[in-house]
Amino acid sequence: MVRVELYGIPRLEAGTTAVEVAASNVGEALKALGIRVPALVPDVVEPDGALSPHYLVAVDGGDLTRDLARPLRPGDVLVLVSAHAGG
Amino acid sequence: MRGAFGRYLRVDLATGETTRPNLGPEVRAALVGGVGLGTAILAHETSPGFDPLGPEAALVFAFSPFVGTSITTSAKLALVAKSPLTGRLSDALSSSDFAIVGKRTGHDAIALVGRTAEPSVLLVTEDGAKLHPCPDLWGDGATIDAVDATLRERFPGHHFAAIGPAAEHGVRFACVANGGRHAGRGGLGAVMGSMGLKAIGVRGRARTQTADPARLVALSKDWATRSLGPETAKYRRLGTVANLAAFNRLAALPTRNFTASTFDGAEALSGETLQRTRAEGRSACRNCTIGCEHFFRSRRGKVKLEYENLFALGPLCGIDDPEITLAASRTCDELGLDTISAGGTIAFAMECSERGLLDGTPYARPELRFGAGEVMLEVLGEIAFRRTPLGDLLAEGSRRAAERIGGPAPDFAPHVKGLELPGYSPRALQTMALGLSVSHRGADHNKSGAYEVDFSAEADRFAPDEAAVRGAIEAEDRAALLDVLILCKFLRGIFTDVYAETAPALEAITGRSTRPDDLRAVAARVVRLRRWFNEREGWTLDEDTLPARFFDEPLPSGAAAGAKLDRERFTALRAAYLDARGLGARGFLSAQAASELADLVDDLSR
Repeated sequence: MVRVELYGIPRLEAGTTAVEVAASNVGEALKALGIRVPALVPDVVEPDGALSPHYLVAVDGGDLTRDLARPLRPGDVLVLVSAHAGG
Repeated sequence: MRGAFGRYLRVDLATGETTRPNLGPEVRAALVGGVGLGTAILAHETSPGFDPLGPEAALVFAFSPFVGTSITTSAKLALVAKSPLTGRLSDALSSSDFAIVGKRTGHDAIALVGRTAEPSVLLVTEDGAKLHPCPDLWGDGATIDAVDATLRERFPGHHFAAIGPAAEHGVRFACVANGGRHAGRGGLGAVMGSMGLKAIGVRGRARTQTADPARLVALSKDWATRSLGPETAKYRRLGTVANLAAFNRLAALPTRNFTASTFDGAEALSGETLQRTRAEGRSACRNCTIGCEHFFRSRRGKVKLEYENLFALGPLCGIDDPEITLAASRTCDELGLDTISAGGTIAFAMECSERGLLDGTPYARPELRFGAGEVMLEVLGEIAFRRTPLGDLLAEGSRRAAERIGGPAPDFAPHVKGLELPGYSPRALQTMALGLSVSHRGADHNKSGAYEVDFSAEADRFAPDEAAVRGAIEAEDRAALLDVLILCKFLRGIFTDVYAETAPALEAITGRSTRPDDLRAVAARVVRLRRWFNEREGWTLDEDTLPARFFDEPLPSGAAAGAKLDRERFTALRAAYLDARGLGARGFLSAQAASELADLVDDLSR
């Protein structure tokens, strides 16, 4: 299983800080996230499982990416954050 | 005239004399308004090497063609002066009725020079300007809220920009408040205070014409609709405080004076937690459809809080109690202190205290430690009134304080060019590190915007390359354009091409043919103009760097553990920046570029 951590609006919409999904890459994780939390579709996860342009993910909080093919291993944490970092 | 009056009001506060110098069509086309126009007027009104707190200083309030129109987020003004904190250009933006009414006095800008004989309020109308002595408003009790209430009663019908006690006492990071908003960074309040001016009030009904009202209305409606889309959802739902928890997870949250970038107490201060436990509604600046201002409950009442206040008066000082952070934010607003510099300077002092660097000095305060919230609140007051040796020291900002403390202190004083760093960890966001270094205003997230590159999938935030440098330049240029027009930066996400989409709006207002490339040229010119001003005031490339800590000390924890800036890479990126900007190896403008800007500044009536 992969843990998807939610921050900001996705956390408010999902009503939880994280969701566990079965996935072997980022795309699968996001698609599963959309199914588990339909409120995140389409603003965060698009209907086809793609990531909205307004969000980014970071595997274990490292590099920020939009690469849906990036492989994930069991136990990985996918951090989902807004791409709008203005403060 | 369309979109502008073609003149500015110059007020000599020493004599009360007013004049209305012309702003010619060439100057207005080249610089448009806002920070571009304001910088040119500042340069025109001052001599090289002037003291920003001396009688020869100037302070400019600049408007723009967009001010007073129906365009969302356009009720903004630019305050421009030489910063007493950095000795370099400082241009701060703020939104309020003051901008709209200030322009309705019939001027594209108001330039203040000289010093009043006694503390005064300046009232500006279409007929000119008049000084009103107000020694009763100058003193320890005259907080910004109290002064605003008194001024409204005493001078009905005016809108005010005012300073608090911190500016009266020459705190180098004092701000100027207007309509509940603050032109916060760089100590422009201290400049106004040194002029003996408690407040400037504006009242007027003059209006400019719009060349194509129907086209402008259509664009305004379109932008207003798009401003409610997903690009601004974060700001509307949670506000900028949403950054804190995400930044903490990415190990990009400056903590305990930048000794770390993750904070154990982040959850208690997160925007998500504050929203769940303390939300007290939100509001918007005048003429803004986004509404990013969020309020939170505290024992001291309802407090407006943004990410920069939250990080600076929370994790940066090791504080995880929302009551303390909310109280500190409120205190800064009442006293007229820039929250980022206040938090940054106190966090620096906390580290000095913990390391024993204040022992045996008049500044010693053993209880000043990371996490000592009540002490932080006390020290804020001591700074604003320069009430104690420690407060007097910290009122100078972290750079000067570090120089006075000596030893290793300068290596970890959190500033660039003297301006304290905002809430973006340079070691975890390394394109931003470059942006902070080269910014004309010092460590600043509003002028650089290079974090946009780090927060993209195109750059490696731990190892940026030359493509990231180009991204940083593009972000800086876009920010410059928005500060010229003037529009809120939170609107930028709705534009696919900000130049192509704002050019028709400017054309609809002014009637002057405006192509996207014209605005690209304006943005680049304004970036050069700021550098030109700084060169005139003694800038050298050695200033475009970060404190040694960021190169020498790896981050200790979280997703960025081990990250630090590499000197060689940083120098190469900075060289690439200079090269792409067409600057010399030492960062200076070419003789031709400098000459063109000098000609523009010399004769503003062109």
